[in-house]
Amino acid sequence: MSDRALRIGVAVVALAGVALAGYLTYVHYQPEALICTAGGGCETVQDSSYAELFGVPVALLGLLSYVAVLVLVAWDSELARTLAAAVALTAVGFVVYLVTLQAFVIDAWCIWCLVNDLVLVPLLAVLTVWRVRLASD
Amino acid sequence: MPPKPRKPPPRKGSANRNLLIAAGAAAAVVVVLVGASLLLRGGDSGDDSATGGVTGIEEASALLGGIPQDRAELGSQKAKVTMIQFEDLQCPICRRYQAEGFPSVVDEYVRPGKVKLRFVGMAFIGPDSEKALLYTLAAGEQGKLWQFQDALYANQGHENSGWVTDTLLEQIAKGLGLDWAKLKKDADSAVTLQQANSMAAEANQRQIEGTPTFYVQVGNDQPYKVQPGSFDPSAFRSILDDALAS
Repeated sequence: MSDRALRIGVAVVALAGVALAGYLTYVHYQPEALICTAGGGCETVQDSSYAELFGVPVALLGLLSYVAVLVLVAWDSELARTLAAAVALTAVGFVVYLVTLQAFVIDAWCIWCLVNDLVLVPLLAVLTVWRVRLASD
Repeated sequence: MPPKPRKPPPRKGSANRNLLIAAGAAAAVVVVLVGASLLLRGGDSGDDSATGGVTGIEEASALLGGIPQDRAELGSQKAKVTMIQFEDLQCPICRRYQAEGFPSVVDEYVRPGKVKLRFVGMAFIGPDSEKALLYTLAAGEQGKLWQFQDALYANQGHENSGWVTDTLLEQIAKGLGLDWAKLKKDADSAVTLQQANSMAAEANQRQIEGTPTFYVQVGNDQPYKVQPGSFDPSAFRSILDDALAS
């Protein structure tokens, strides 16, 4: 795969992440937008004491991370590629923790969080690492 | 003959080094984030019930004591405006409303007799919802449905974790001065089940898709749905002041 294709892929995944993390940030600050529905665990996850870090919603940290990746992919230098991979790998490590919390501590699953944790973040990590490695070929 | 350009050095090592730096930095940041998350987190929503400690009894009694109750209704029967609250006692967003918006609604509108509240309990989240609802409705037979509801929210556990135990219900009942034996009997009665079914039918008829959902009724007019912009007291003030002025 060419660097151009990977770069576009990173941008697309990061944009999807901005949309998803943006929505989760919005509902964090607007609880009435998130009503309890049958079988839904999002409200439990969002309402848990793990939903914030240093007073900042975890969803907002995710949003800022995706924005950072978008900036780095636009910058496009060796350092930017490395930093993008670092951000994505950090996200992978943190979502492993978040998924573990949902499974064993909070006892509830937030479907939108899982889309981020199990699809977007791993995909972003693979693409950003691939770009760094491609630079050596 | 021009000098032959030097071949650029292989960059494989550079890429590997960059990846190592990225992975190392990521690992360090993750350790800091996870450590901070574990150390700084506040009390979790289910902690009180998990430890067996019952809270919120005194607060519920102080907030609601002295206000007339007629089964699921709270407040003066002469109140011009009724606010109908569709709730599931397991819903954490309902608990948030109960903590953030409900006290000021009671203090500013219900206690002075301007507005009365009507509780419509739903049980769509799971088995704990149904048990909590039946006991809350049974508390209405002893004139303390709203205190029981308020105390249950204060002790709410994780959805469908089995948090609505007999022990919790008994502790709340006795803390509120209710007759526990009568409460158990009433919770199992056909009358209470019929009341729960009527509430479910009303929610179904209004196509309630989630909780909390609020309706306002002025006099005997048709109730209309309202959507507060937040659970802040000011959001309910504007809704209820409009209804009272109409």
